[in-house]
Amino acid sequence: MNTAIISARGVSMSFPDGAGGRTQALDGVDLSVTRGEVLALLGPNGAGKTTLLDTLLGLTVPESGQVLVDDDTPRAAVQSGRLSALLQTGGLLPDLTAAETVRMVAALHRDPADVDEVMDIAGVRPFASRPVGKCSGGQQQRLRFALALLPRPEIIILDEPTAGMDVSARHEFWARMRTQADDGATVIFATHYLEEAEQFARRTVLMDRGRVLADGPTDEVRSRAGAAHVGVVWTPTPEELEAVPHVLSVTSEGQRISFRTDDADALARHLLTRTGAHGLTVRPASLEEAFRLLTEDPASEDAASENAASEEVPA
Amino acid sequence: MSGHYRLGRYIALDFWRNLRNIGNSFFVIVLPTALFLFFGTTMDWSDNPVGEGNVSAWTMIAIASYGAAMATTSMAGAAALEIQQGWGRQLALTAMPHGAFVVAKSVVAVGIAVLPVVVLNVVGILTVADMPPGVWLATAALTVLGSLPFALYGLAIGLSFRSDAAVGAATGLLVIFSFLGNAFMPLDGVLLDIGRFTPMYGVVALARYPLTDGDLISMGAMGETDPLWAVLANVLAWTIIFGTACLLLQRRRTSRR
Repeated sequence: MNTAIISARGVSMSFPDGAGGRTQALDGVDLSVTRGEVLALLGPNGAGKTTLLDTLLGLTVPESGQVLVDDDTPRAAVQSGRLSALLQTGGLLPDLTAAETVRMVAALHRDPADVDEVMDIAGVRPFASRPVGKCSGGQQQRLRFALALLPRPEIIILDEPTAGMDVSARHEFWARMRTQADDGATVIFATHYLEEAEQFARRTVLMDRGRVLADGPTDEVRSRAGAAHVGVVWTPTPEELEAVPHVLSVTSEGQRISFRTDDADALARHLLTRTGAHGLTVRPASLEEAFRLLTEDPASEDAASENAASEEVPA
Repeated sequence: MSGHYRLGRYIALDFWRNLRNIGNSFFVIVLPTALFLFFGTTMDWSDNPVGEGNVSAWTMIAIASYGAAMATTSMAGAAALEIQQGWGRQLALTAMPHGAFVVAKSVVAVGIAVLPVVVLNVVGILTVADMPPGVWLATAALTVLGSLPFALYGLAIGLSFRSDAAVGAATGLLVIFSFLGNAFMPLDGVLLDIGRFTPMYGVVALARYPLTDGDLISMGAMGETDPLWAVLANVLAWTIIFGTACLLLQRRRTSRR
């Protein structure tokens, strides 16, 4: 039985690059999402995340490939209220108040949720009578969230929902979002925060330059990308070096050795308790590094990375 | 799948949003009314006869045309900006099809354009303006109709410049178009010759037609007449020019995607 609520096959899209040629924004993307899944779409700016989400929403028609949402076209899913989204920026009228915006958009859905209820869930109530133009970025984001909840969607798509939010607002946003997910909604969100993917998504899709680089459980994708760098001052024997656990790759510069690892805690504990290593530093791997590593030819990867990286999990 | 989206409610909310926009309402309703009270009711010649009515009515029609054109220009310009600034994406995530948005905006724009026409006509009735009732209704209807090409004008400006300031400048230009369009005071000589080719001239002359049958009034007494075909030709030509500009700009916009 096919339980995929979203299925995209061979989706490609290109835009003029302004110099006479075309930029490939999406290059044959395949994606299948199961009902109730929470999926993070991770990638640097320009990876094609927004374009992919736009095609899933029917806002952009791909040049080739097919997108089905709940066995229907994206537009039909949107019109029936099964699919909704929190868009990245813009999209609000500055002279309306927050509450008026919710009411106005509610009028355009076939069977909208109760306006007051939605404003409570999204936390819009405290600034309901404030003109949108005078709301902070975080408040506008909460308002967009309220709009996304209006059609009582089965699938919610969020395009960098916490962009411009401070840490506490970000935390609060995800707490609200988690409630939705717990109620059975399918959630797809784009982000470039690795932590957000780790905390809220069981599955992560890594994208770069219009392609899916990795797709699987978030833990596996993370370990594949390498979670951290641990540096120490140490002069090990080859045997000692071989015994260090959770190592993806090693580089050394004089006495300074740097490990890329998928478990910084275990590696640091080993180094500090079983070896003479000292001067330990831990630095989380940036997402950019992760992408660079994933785009590199796997053959050129360091030999020490045998215990790393599960195979790419097919969608 | 039960229920239907409520376009009427959306239109009502959008209408109210635009009405309470103080800047807009001032330029669309208050300013034309003040202009009419000044130019149309207090002059020595306000009560002089024109066709079946008087000079005050002649002035009132033109200033109402100016107010209505201001309304459609700014509404259409603002709509173009809204769509381009992402509100269109938000609306594309609702049950409302894009065509319905155009209908809703048109209804709101015409609704706003009707306001200065109604206010000015009521003020006209209460003051000096005089026309037979049938002529009165006909000119009011033609005034609203004449504001429609300016929706295309506003749309073209909004599509090409993508800024509030540009739309503001476009409505500002309407003062000059109206002056050249013989709206505020009777022109003659070279200014009239030039004015005949400007965009407000046709719609003002058309709205006045039931009152004047095309006869011009002038400071001199030359008694020129604009034939109906010439008036319609002006309206049609500018409608085509504005409409074509919108189509070309829209094509440019979509091909870039």
